[in-house]
Amino acid sequence: MIALVGAIIVGLVAFVQLKNDWGAQGLDASVTKVLLGLMAVGCVLVLFASINVLGYRG
Amino acid sequence: MASTTAGHLSGHAAVRARYNDVDPVYREVRELRLFGFVLFLLSDCILFGSLIFAYIYLRLSAPVWPPYLAGHQLQWFDTSFAAFNSVVLFGSGVTMHFALENWKHLHREKFFGWLIATIALGLAFLGGQAHEWAGVLRDGITWSNTTMGSSFYCLTGLHGLHVFIGTVFLAILGLQAKYGVYTGSKYQGLVAGTLYWHFVDVIWVFLFTLFYLW
Repeated sequence: MIALVGAIIVGLVAFVQLKNDWGAQGLDASVTKVLLGLMAVGCVLVLFASINVLGYRG
Repeated sequence: MASTTAGHLSGHAAVRARYNDVDPVYREVRELRLFGFVLFLLSDCILFGSLIFAYIYLRLSAPVWPPYLAGHQLQWFDTSFAAFNSVVLFGSGVTMHFALENWKHLHREKFFGWLIATIALGLAFLGGQAHEWAGVLRDGITWSNTTMGSSFYCLTGLHGLHVFIGTVFLAILGLQAKYGVYTGSKYQGLVAGTLYWHFVDVIWVFLFTLFYLW
């Protein structure tokens, strides 16, 4: 449950930051955009794992 | 000087104006150092990539996965705790992003708050990893008895080492910021620290997928 809520919050924040930084120029901004995007994807994966769509339960 | 140039601007435009309001030689050196740091991150990608592909090869070439140990098939790694620990690490990526943004917008106090939160979350993730390792060891999976164990300890251990180095890196950056090494226009170390921290987050996305979801 904590992972689910956390993934939603962190994923949304990462997505909003990505949207805010979308127009930023420069190498650092470009790398940051790629990394933030992948982190948002990671949050989606955690979200699916926390609702048992992906992964295994011990 | 930076404040006068950026005084009539707001938001990202002011940040960019301050960032560019430096000596041209410094600006050129800064760009080269940033490029060098990105190359370092790419070399680290190759390191993790080679180990990840070794794991994929071992897994695909195994007759059955998880492998057998002493006549019993091993269990899959439990996703529940790893999902929670992943959120802790991804959350630290967000707090580090906020830290850098606050530094760029000259909010020093908020910067230190977010930086400390990032370090705390990084250490919490490492604690979670220690807990995870202890659980896997209790299940009888060691470094040397299965390819599953050796891959898991090697990749998550290397990632954990990166997280540990990252927390030390961020602590040093915090001290440098406190003692005036960085200004509103010169903060390349903080940019490098943020990129490094995002990088360890993203590496975890791949490791989480490989060990807990695949």
